[in-house]
Amino acid sequence: MILDYLVLSIVLFCLGILGVISRRNVFTVFMSIELMLNAANLAFIALSRLHESMDGQVLAMLVMAVAAAEAALALAVVILLHKHTGKLDTNVFSLLKG
Amino acid sequence: MIAQWLFYGFATLAVLGALGLILFQHPMNGAMCFIVTLISLAGLYALLSASLLFALQLIVYAGAIMSLILFIIMFLNIQATDLPEEKGRWTFLFGGILVIAPIGLFLLKVVKTLPQGETSIIGQDFGGVKKVGMVLFQDWLLPFEIVSILLLVALVGAVVLAGKKEMAS
Repeated sequence: MILDYLVLSIVLFCLGILGVISRRNVFTVFMSIELMLNAANLAFIALSRLHESMDGQVLAMLVMAVAAAEAALALAVVILLHKHTGKLDTNVFSLLKG
Repeated sequence: MIAQWLFYGFATLAVLGALGLILFQHPMNGAMCFIVTLISLAGLYALLSASLLFALQLIVYAGAIMSLILFIIMFLNIQATDLPEEKGRWTFLFGGILVIAPIGLFLLKVVKTLPQGETSIIGQDFGGVKKVGMVLFQDWLLPFEIVSILLLVALVGAVVLAGKKEMAS
């Protein structure tokens, strides 16, 4: 049933938000954001199956490309901050205030 | 019937992997759990007869992005003492559940109003390279080009960030 897939996507999305809220490790927060993107992808693909059109799958592909770009940039920033301060705490990112 | 059991298996694995991601202290364990989630999501895509997305999920997500993250975690050589101390972790977790639960229940109510559909495998190359490519290059051409520009910007940005320290020294 399509409903089960959508419920699973909601559960994964909420778990991703919980990860962002409750953790302070940069990598875990980053992967929680990826988890939220994946939950959205699952919803897109389930709805694309429901309507039997390809638009949802194309959107999921675009989301994957955006996630790849985000991973490249975010990890570069994390490496620079780790070299600078030697920490993996998300509080370190308050240094980035303009 | 088999598809139903496969769905329950993959869904359980995905939720367990996500729980492991947000509960494990060390990011390495979390990343391993997240790979389990990504692979079971690929299985769910296959059950939804999205064959191209199934391959892309395995190659791009579980392959490229996660190996990049694992490489960086191993590159930084994180010891248990380097991890940030997360004293208010459980407080934030339970407070987060209290905040998230109404949103989740609201989304559940919204989803229940959608029409029900079958998830049986449909043929005629649904979700294959040819059909998805036709839609991508006809209806979604402009977003596709914008994403390519975004990838170019990310590439240039990564090069600039990596080259900065040489200029400073």
